[in-house]
Amino acid sequence: MNLNRRELLRKGWKLGATVLGVALGWTAYEALRPLAGTAGGGSVTLGNPADFKPGTATYVNQGRLWVANAGGHFFALSQRCPHLGCRVPFCHSSGRFECPCHGSVFDLGGEYVQGPAPRGMDRFELRLDNGTLVADTSKLLPGPDRGTRDFLTPPLGPPCTRS
Amino acid sequence: MDDQDRDQLEPDTYPPPTTLWQRVRHSEVWRSAFRHPQLDTPRGRALQSFSNFFLHVYPVKVPARVLRFRYSWRLGYILTVLFAILNLTGMYLMFFYTPSVASAYGDMQQLRTGVGFGQLVRNVHRWSAHLMVIVVVVHLARVFFAGAYKRPRQFNWVLGVGLLVATLAFSFTGYLLPWDQLSYWAVTVGTNLVNYVPVLGLTLRDLLLGGTQIGQATLLRFYALHVFVLPAALTVLLALHIWRVRKDGFAVQRPGGGAFTEEATMLPGEPIHEPVAADGERRVRLLGVVDRQSVTAEERRVDDAVFTWPHLVVRHAVVGLATAAAALTLGVAFAAPLRDLANPQLTPEPSKAPWYFVGLQELLSHLDPLVAGILIPAGTIVALILLPYLDRNPATEARHRKVAILLFSAMLVAASVLTVVGEFFRGPGWRFIPPWRHLYVDL
Repeated sequence: MNLNRRELLRKGWKLGATVLGVALGWTAYEALRPLAGTAGGGSVTLGNPADFKPGTATYVNQGRLWVANAGGHFFALSQRCPHLGCRVPFCHSSGRFECPCHGSVFDLGGEYVQGPAPRGMDRFELRLDNGTLVADTSKLLPGPDRGTRDFLTPPLGPPCTRS
Repeated sequence: MDDQDRDQLEPDTYPPPTTLWQRVRHSEVWRSAFRHPQLDTPRGRALQSFSNFFLHVYPVKVPARVLRFRYSWRLGYILTVLFAILNLTGMYLMFFYTPSVASAYGDMQQLRTGVGFGQLVRNVHRWSAHLMVIVVVVHLARVFFAGAYKRPRQFNWVLGVGLLVATLAFSFTGYLLPWDQLSYWAVTVGTNLVNYVPVLGLTLRDLLLGGTQIGQATLLRFYALHVFVLPAALTVLLALHIWRVRKDGFAVQRPGGGAFTEEATMLPGEPIHEPVAADGERRVRLLGVVDRQSVTAEERRVDDAVFTWPHLVVRHAVVGLATAAAALTLGVAFAAPLRDLANPQLTPEPSKAPWYFVGLQELLSHLDPLVAGILIPAGTIVALILLPYLDRNPATEARHRKVAILLFSAMLVAASVLTVVGEFFRGPGWRFIPPWRHLYVDL
């Protein structure tokens, strides 16, 4: 390739500007992205399984999560709706989770029932340590796909979010 | 030429001073600051624009039809005034606000009770921001319906779309700063839309929030974007936009159809079509070959031109004062809302995005999130950017652009209906509740 001085400079400054732009962009991204671990999370002791009554959900403030006992199956469910991030309260009258923002409804196991949510409620990893339920809030697993019906039961009563 | 020489050439300009005021204006100090006197002559009016830093943004002369309010409804100018009001009120508010989760809400309460004119300035700031979003959309629609995005103004239309996006971002980042329930959950809903961007969604959201959920990092980022990054970007875009308005020329519609004529800049390699008159004779000008109608338009433009100072400047001053009066009236009449302190544990029912994103929220309740949250809004922005390059029809009159006008009108109506339904007809659980039964509206 034959390059005279003018062409070399012309191509050179474009190459230099591109490298500088990429370097600046990457540096800005590295500086602004949340650092690993700063998002919070860790092991949260929930309690003895016997403390959580079947067919209901208990809120654990420390982990900002719901512990649900669906017929002996335990779940640590994220309180955030997978649709647009609103906090999803548990409705004791219907026995379901009902999002106040856009009306998404989830059963006790966090499975999608109705509304615009793209999937069921996200879940934290749950384990049994010496007879105690422990949730790892640094490990969030996406909720079950729409159509999953493992724990679906008819609503116990009227919904909480009504006009 | 020094002052003495000039005075000799124009003896009437600086007559021998008799009063104190005339002596001041005749002094070297005054004339070192204001280089030219205000003369009610053609030369004096031209000098007003040439030698005044602020007036230099205007051309010296404009076509007379530009003076008519209907010509542009002054929408671009109104937007500039609103941006100035937002800057002024925003600067005042900055003296009393700390972007900290611990103190932001308290600062807002303090503004209401402990800061001179604090509540009023905040009200004006908020309503001006809402007005700016409304006017920018109306401005875009007017430019479209007038066909003013066509050659040679394609790039200025693109800059205008950039200004629309910057305005929305400006308003959205400001929404979080009061740190109340309204702002917290509106921004929660708004930022979670980003989740639906394929592949990069979570990364983008975390970058925007500075974490996985709204917190101190988010407040600081939104504040930095709101008070520095976006104003700087908007100022640059606005300067380019106004500069292009001048460089691209004012709109002249050719009577027999066709695009604007006065800036018929040729692209390199573009064939020259020599027009032939009805009698078969070719008409030529000295500097190039143009059709007869262009010459007519050019002559009319020159004949109709009027001095910017004072004709247009005075009209702009009136519109600017009217805009400021409207913002002030809204500020006096309606208080900007301040709900309870932001509580991540309590989602209010219903939680709505800021009104200009409520249409998207409504769409999200009907369609797949990827379609409603990403493809439709991003597609709309891309389509708007590409519009002047895709629309090859040179006509600007509505009767020759029926398809384009129909499509654009349908888009506007759809967006308006979705926004009205989402804002006025939705209640807890996003259920359909007519406003005459209960009104769930927060601005």
